[in-house]
Amino acid sequence: MYNLSGVTKTYTKHGGTIAAVQDASLSIADGEWIAIQGRTGSGKSTLLQLLGAMLRPDHGVLSFQDRDLASLPETMLTQVRAAEIGFVFQAFNLIPTLSAVENVEAALVPHRVPPAELRARAALALDSVGLADRAHHLPSELSGGQQQRVGIARALVKQPKVLLADEPTGNLDVDTRDEIMSLLETLWRERGLTLVLVTHDSGIAGRAQRIVAMKDGRLSIALAPEEHS
Amino acid sequence: MSEHGGHAFYFTYLRRELQHRRRQALLAAAGLAVGVGLVVTVTAATAGVSGAEAAVLHSLYGVGTDVSVTKAAPDPGTPDPNSAGTSGSAHKGIGYSPGKRPQPVDQLIAAAGLSWLPASAVAQVARVHNVAAAAGGLTLTDSQFTVPSLSQLGPGGKPPASAFPTTSSVDGVDLSYLGLGPFASAHLVSGRGFAGSDASADVAVADSGYATAHKLRVGSSVTIGFHRFTVIGIVSQPPASAADVYIPLARAQALAKSSPVSSFSGMTSRDMVTNIYVAAASAADVPAVRASLARLLHAATVSSSADLASQVSGSLNSAATLAADLGRWLAVGVLLAAFAVASLLTLAAVGRRHAELGTLKALGWPGRRVIAQLLGESLVTGIIGAVLGVALGYGGAAIVRAAAPRLSATVAQSPGATPPLSISMNSSGAHRSYPPGSFHTVAVQMTAPVTATAVLLAVTLALAGALLAGAFGSWRASRLQPAAAMSTVE
Repeated sequence: MYNLSGVTKTYTKHGGTIAAVQDASLSIADGEWIAIQGRTGSGKSTLLQLLGAMLRPDHGVLSFQDRDLASLPETMLTQVRAAEIGFVFQAFNLIPTLSAVENVEAALVPHRVPPAELRARAALALDSVGLADRAHHLPSELSGGQQQRVGIARALVKQPKVLLADEPTGNLDVDTRDEIMSLLETLWRERGLTLVLVTHDSGIAGRAQRIVAMKDGRLSIALAPEEHS
Repeated sequence: MSEHGGHAFYFTYLRRELQHRRRQALLAAAGLAVGVGLVVTVTAATAGVSGAEAAVLHSLYGVGTDVSVTKAAPDPGTPDPNSAGTSGSAHKGIGYSPGKRPQPVDQLIAAAGLSWLPASAVAQVARVHNVAAAAGGLTLTDSQFTVPSLSQLGPGGKPPASAFPTTSSVDGVDLSYLGLGPFASAHLVSGRGFAGSDASADVAVADSGYATAHKLRVGSSVTIGFHRFTVIGIVSQPPASAADVYIPLARAQALAKSSPVSSFSGMTSRDMVTNIYVAAASAADVPAVRASLARLLHAATVSSSADLASQVSGSLNSAATLAADLGRWLAVGVLLAAFAVASLLTLAAVGRRHAELGTLKALGWPGRRVIAQLLGESLVTGIIGAVLGVALGYGGAAIVRAAAPRLSATVAQSPGATPPLSISMNSSGAHRSYPPGSFHTVAVQMTAPVTATAVLLAVTLALAGALLAGAFGSWRASRLQPAAAMSTVE
């Protein structure tokens, strides 16, 4: 799925240069669940944005499905994000003026989908995360866990090849975190997704097949994955 | 991008977003509406003032006249045949003295300030390039009084009331070109107008006000130059029109030549006119025609409507200046302020929606799709502003019509000519004055018509302003990276 070789991403801030990701090399196989664990400020979200084709690396090769994302034109990157990559945000990032089902539909807007199919697929995606009865609720009328479920449904409605989750439980209480993680694990198993999850929580990271630690923008030794039967 | 499904989502998202930001959207729309309303109101007021000016000018020279040619009277100091006499003589310097019997006098003279042009000049003018038509006219004053007998003089030689002249204005109308000249602005109230066969007939058309004052109706008689004319029609005219009575030009020329007044002394028996009314081939040709006529008739005064407009004084003139200068710049200033407010509000909205717009890009929305969404929101704001602005404009125009004071316009009795200035001396010193009737002040009711063009301009300005404001926000959104969806940089 992914092959990273010497990937570096720097930012200029307040006159200085920050190396968010330094010389990262990593391979992620199809269908693998990998957790990238590190403290706040370690560069893991930047790495996730690079994997999600939302940023271009300054140096190195970032290959996704045998395509170098660093060299693709912006229009093609947009098409890759639209069709092949699903993203779950820490802050849910739902459109506040759209209902739950409309937020899910937003992910299908870039595709050629007739209106009946648009609504049907969005409703199905909501049902798969257990929110069929909340379809017409605005985000302000949903709990944090429910909003994240909508976010997951939005990420999966277009049947992407990979699901990238940036601290998906970061804004949730303990009980809700477990619900969301169980949901993600179930969906990963059922759909054969490649799942890349970023977290600072070792307990959440431990549920993945493989853990990659990140510190000061550098990937450290990959920890042995847990066995999942 | 999807088709039907995408369109439905587009309008749903647009509607929800405007509902969510309705206060900001209405504020931006209100700002545009005020600017647009002011443009409509100022346009209407300017049109009303222009219409009033045109009505004043058209009443002087007729609707179809683009250029007028006159000749100024001789310098002041030359004996003025219009001046009323003092004791013992009705007119100084013209040979009337009380005798044994009363002597009725009915004299036709050129109107104050005007002198004579040869009628042959009309044909010359008609041949000038880009002249569509030319017509001659005579603007005369008919002065009637009775030179008293010696026995009628009072103590100290004081003349009776009949010795003082009553005057009326008489215009000779070229019946070949009824569409030129002041008569073209007259509207028939009763009877009939002139026909070509009336050229040598003693027929007259009277102004309705004059007819009422002198108890004239169709079939009545009126005496001009000792000749009885039959009134064939009564007309209503714009306020500034000077003529009390219209008669055929040929009859006016004949009566003027036969008048006993010596103001024609030295003239040959050629036909004479005091005005030449000219229609240009098109509005664009007026300046060139004016220049050509000025070269052809260098001793004459050649005036276009623009020249005459500059001679109009009074509150109408002030209103025209106010509408054209202050009104226009005020409207432009308010519009620019409205655009600025709308732009700032749009930029602020995009700033608040940073993460939202970044999320859409992260979901795979193309940049043009995001821009189209933002421009759609701005366009709806512009439509609301346009509708409100047009309504405000209609309201403003109605207020102008209702509240505007009655304007006045002062023009020379014979515009393009110099009114004669009288200088007299008495115990208190020298005094300068224009003879009575040299200037004519008319009251004009100002209108403020809202035209389809003004409404179209207003709608276009509102939509353009809204889209321009939206373009600023869209530019900012287009520069957003999908990573803007993330709250912080690690």
